[in-house]
Amino acid sequence: MFAVAAVAILIALSLAVVRALLGPTVFDRALAANSVGTGAILLLAVFGFLTGRPEFLDIGITYALLNIVGMYAVLKFFRYGDLGHTGEEPSE
Amino acid sequence: MIALDPYIVEALSWALILGGCFFYVTGAIGLIRMPDVFARMHATSVSETLGVGMLIAGMMFQAGFTLNSARLAIIFMLLMFTGPIVTHAMARSAQFAGVKPLLVADRTGASAALAPAPARKARPAARARKGGRSSKR
Repeated sequence: MFAVAAVAILIALSLAVVRALLGPTVFDRALAANSVGTGAILLLAVFGFLTGRPEFLDIGITYALLNIVGMYAVLKFFRYGDLGHTGEEPSE
Repeated sequence: MIALDPYIVEALSWALILGGCFFYVTGAIGLIRMPDVFARMHATSVSETLGVGMLIAGMMFQAGFTLNSARLAIIFMLLMFTGPIVTHAMARSAQFAGVKPLLVADRTGASAALAPAPARKARPAARARKGGRSSKR
């Protein structure tokens, strides 16, 4: 059953990568990157159950936190063009 | 999970994992097929809530009542809390950058059914010309 889950998650990951390549706007690509991150967490958990080593779940928790922080960094760069922007004055 | 028949646990985890795989792949197909950025955010929310939830529930039934179930529950809560936050931030950022959502009236074929106003504006002129007799609609 974990093999079925792993194949399904891999199919969904490849579809998200296709959207990352296709997407006309840059937000399509950011959304696809977020989906790839979630799929990677699930694939880590399923892989941990497949090989009988559930320690991969800790890596999954860490990557979930990194994913959200990374998405905020990317969105801030899209909006302000600068990762060091203080966000005080309204920018174009 | 605590004191269930092992066949029931196995059957439940099979059902949950298969359902979770179905919803996850459905969300990914929606990511490909939807016509607009905001509609695609809607499609990924399906895979991030239902898909992830059912997959993690199926894996929790397989893990039993151990520490691994607690780790899976932590992953589930993290994804549940951060999913809507990231979607909202991305939608707000996209709208601020100037991405216009695709409305139904913009798509070809739908505007004829939803916008009868230009046809109705021509009617009063015809009605005044014919002397007030209501023409057939």
